[in-house]
Formats: sequence, C-alpha cells, structure tokens
Amino acid sequence: MYGSIAYLGYGLAAIGPGIGVGLIFAAYINGVARQPEARGMLQTIAFTGMAITEALAILGLVFAFVFQGTNPN
Amino acid sequence: MITASVVAAADGEPHGFPSGFPLLPQPAEMVIGLIAFGILYWLYKTKVVPRLEELYAERAAAIEGGMQQAEQAQAEAKAALEQYTAQLAEARAEANSIRESAREQGASIVAEMRAQAQAEASRITESAKRQVEAERQQAVVQLRQEVGSLSTTLASKIVGESLEDEVRQKGIVDRFLAELEAGEVTPQKVAPAGQDA
Amino acid sequence: MSPTVVSASWLPAAIATAEGGEGGFKTPGVADFWWPVIPFDGTGPWAVTRPALVLLLSVGLLAWFYVGATRKLTVVPSKNQFLVEGSYNFVRNTIGRDIIGSKDFLQFVPLLLTLFTLILVNNLFGIFPFIQFPTMSRVGIPIVLTLIVYITYHAVAIRRKHGVLPYFKSLIPPGLPGWLKPILFVLEFLTYFVIRPLTLALRLFGNMLAGHLMLLVFIVGGEYLLLEGDNLFLKFSGALSFGFSIAMTFFELLIEFLQAFIFTLLAALYISDAVSEHH
Repeated sequence: MYGSIAYLGYGLAAIGPGIGVGLIFAAYINGVARQPEARGMLQTIAFTGMAITEALAILGLVFAFVFQGTNPN
Repeated sequence: MITASVVAAADGEPHGFPSGFPLLPQPAEMVIGLIAFGILYWLYKTKVVPRLEELYAERAAAIEGGMQQAEQAQAEAKAALEQYTAQLAEARAEANSIRESAREQGASIVAEMRAQAQAEASRITESAKRQVEAERQQAVVQLRQEVGSLSTTLASKIVGESLEDEVRQKGIVDRFLAELEAGEVTPQKVAPAGQDA
Repeated sequence: MSPTVVSASWLPAAIATAEGGEGGFKTPGVADFWWPVIPFDGTGPWAVTRPALVLLLSVGLLAWFYVGATRKLTVVPSKNQFLVEGSYNFVRNTIGRDIIGSKDFLQFVPLLLTLFTLILVNNLFGIFPFIQFPTMSRVGIPIVLTLIVYITYHAVAIRRKHGVLPYFKSLIPPGLPGWLKPILFVLEFLTYFVIRPLTLALRLFGNMLAGHLMLLVFIVGGEYLLLEGDNLFLKFSGALSFGFSIAMTFFELLIEFLQAFIFTLLAALYISDAVSEHH
C-alpha cells in the first residue's frame, strides 16, 4: 500500500481555512440577524472574505497535486 | 477507447492526459470550452438578454400604466364623491329653503286667512249693525208718522177740528215730539189724556 | 496486472478494473476523469473528450431552451418563460445589480448569465442520469471560464482608470506610510493577478472533482464490497456504502448549485471592484 503524503498535507492545510470560512459565515449570519436590511452589503463582504480565506485551502490542493511523489514500485 | 486507455494503464504508461501533472489543462477541452462559451455568450447577448430587457421595460411600463390608471380611477372616484357630496348638500339646502318658504307661505296664508276672516266678520257685524240702525231709523220714522197721524186723529177727534191742514199739523206734531224728546212732556201727563194708557 | 474490462460501461475504465487477484480494488483517482471519445492522437492533447462533448451538449440545450423560450415573451409568463425569467432575475438582480451596482451592471449581465447557466447545467450533468460527468471536473474548462472573467475585469479596470499605470497605482490604498507601500503593492498585485484567478478556477474544479470522486468511491467501493466481499459484514458495508452514495448525491446537488452561484458571484465581485472608481 502506498500513497502520497501530499494529500495528508492538504488535509492539514484545509483545517485553517475551514475554521476561517466558518467564522466568516458565523459573523455574516450574526450581522444579518441583527440588521436584516444590511444583507446585500454583508453578503458582498462575506463572499470576498470567503474567497480570500478559501484561497489558502485551494493553494493547498494545488500543492497536493503538484508534489505527488512517485510510485515506489 | 476504454480498452485503449486500459491498455495504456496496463502498459505502465501514464494513464490519460493528465499524467505527470493532474492540473494540466487539455488544449482540446480549452478550445472547445472557449467555443462553447463564445456561442452561448453571443446568443445571450444578441437574443436572450435584449428580449428579456425589452420585456422588463414593457412590464415596468405596464405596471406604471396600471398605477396611473388606478390613480386616475381614484381621482375620478374622488371627484364623483365630491360631486355627489356637493349635490347632496345642495339638495339639502334646497329642501331646507323649500321647507322654510313653505312654512313662511303657510304662515302668511294663515295670517291672510285670519285677516280675511276678521274683515269678513267685521264686515258682517258692520252690515248687521247698519241694518239694525236702518231698521231702527225706519221704525222711528214710521213710528213718528204713525204717532203723528194717530195723535192728530186723536186730537182731531178730541178737538173736533180738523187738523188736516198739513202745515199746521206737521208743526204741532213736531213740536210735540220735540217736547217729548226734551222730556218736557211726561208720560203721566199723557196717560190721563189717553183712554187706554 | 492483467486488465479485465468489467461491468457497467459508463464507469471509467480504470475504476472498472476490479481484479479478483492480489491488490484487487483500485481506488478511483483523477486519472478516471480522462475520457477521450474521439482520439485524434491516442491519449494526446487534441483528443475530443467526453467533457467537451457534454459541454457542447449543454450549450445546445441552453441555447435551445433560452432562445426558444424568449422567442415570444408575454407580460404574463408561461411555464417556460417563468423558469427563464426566474434564472434571469436571479442573475440580473441578485448577482448583477446588487453587487456591480445599478449604474453599469447591464452590460455584464450576458456574461454573468452565460457563466451561471453554463456552470449550473454542466454541474448538474454530474448527477444527471446517463450523462453523469461534471464537466467542470476537467481543469481546462474552469480555466477557460476564469480566463474570460480575468480578461474582462482587468480590461474594464484599465479602461475605467485610464491606463495600466493608474490601475497599478490604484491597487495601493491611499493614506499609507511610504515603507508599507511596496509590500502592500506586492500583496495586492498577487491578489489581483494570481490568487483571484487561481482560486476562482480551482474552487470550481476542486469542488466538482472532489464531489464526483467521492460519489465514485462510494459507488465503486460499494459495488466491489458487494460483489467481492468474503463475508456478510463486507457485503452489508457495501450496501450501506451504496445507500450513502445516494444521500451524497443530494448533497452534491446542493454543492453544484452553490458552486455555480459562487463562481458567478465572485466574477461579479471582481468586476464591481474594477468598475468602482476608488480601489
């Protein structure tokens, strides 16, 4: 049995962005609950933040694909 | 095709196009993707979006027109209501005035009737009075004549002398009556003179 | 490793190579999404692949549906028109107008509508019976879409800021101390020119690939366990895996909608950044 430790690395790299995206949407939901009329503005900000935060996870995915290693067999 | 790729895998060669580097895009797919996007974009830009925007404008106009119509209807209804209210007020005022004038007319009729009746009554009274007066006058005149003739007859009988002479007779009777009226001759004096007093 | 072509022909070849012997089950991977239909040069770069055909099919369907449904529009919508108007309304108002701003969103509506409908339909093909191939799980197609968005928002920004140099200058927020400016410029430059397109393309690609791969693992793994399992427990696990794959299909449906929405939303967001006067 063999595999690439890069995917393990990707799993680790996804933890941070996962928490970050969670925090962003928690704040977004809070904000909308407090001020439903600010939904449009908050949505833009939330998705911008999500795009930036998720970028880290996606970079992790790229690196997982790039550094695949070779089959030892 | 399937067998081909399987054979390729079996040969230990890189499997499929993304062999060394899985994130390498396949050129054919990119070209087809670009063409596909171009076709769809062109169709949307020239056909779908303009048509839908036209519909949106039409719908907005329709809604606006509907609102205008509703406003117009509302204004019309308001005007009708105002007119109706005005008419009602007018009618009420008219009725009031009619009632007022009727009352006045009634009052005037009553007054007139009363005046007429009063006038009639007074006239009747007047004429009755006058008639009574006239009858009395007549009676007085007749009485005077009769008393005159009676007394002359009586006197002529008593005196035996004819008092037929008009002038004298009249003078005597008048004198007597004047005395009588003056109260110089009392009935007591006459009574013994008369046979049946 | 003697290959035996097995079972359902719609399964990618490598997955279907379930062997009874040593090793046996082969986990599905990225290579399973390689599916040349008309190979001009074997496994080469110019083979017409299944996702390309699915993409063309989706374009045909969308063109037929949208052009056909908008041929005779009425103020009171019919059933098809209602669907067209619903999607158009969503893209035009929720994504376009609310993010780009009501002043100049209208010229980008065709772009956003194309992106949204194309991605949505191609994503839905991932779980559509008999097609069952998410086109966006081939990295080339999201890259093309991202490239279009990338060129669009940079072109708009350069036109709005009157030139390339003012555009670069506008990347630096005003009112910063001098020593911070180069650092921030590098960061902003990376964001605008590298991170944004990279994440835009790879988010879609990654989500579609991972989602479909997960379904493959559950279905193929379930099938393998069910057919090749030695005891009752393994067979039961296989059945469970099969059932779970159905639940995951519904989850995929949600993800497919969400990814089409996010891609279009982010494209609109980047365009709105370019359209706005200040940075």
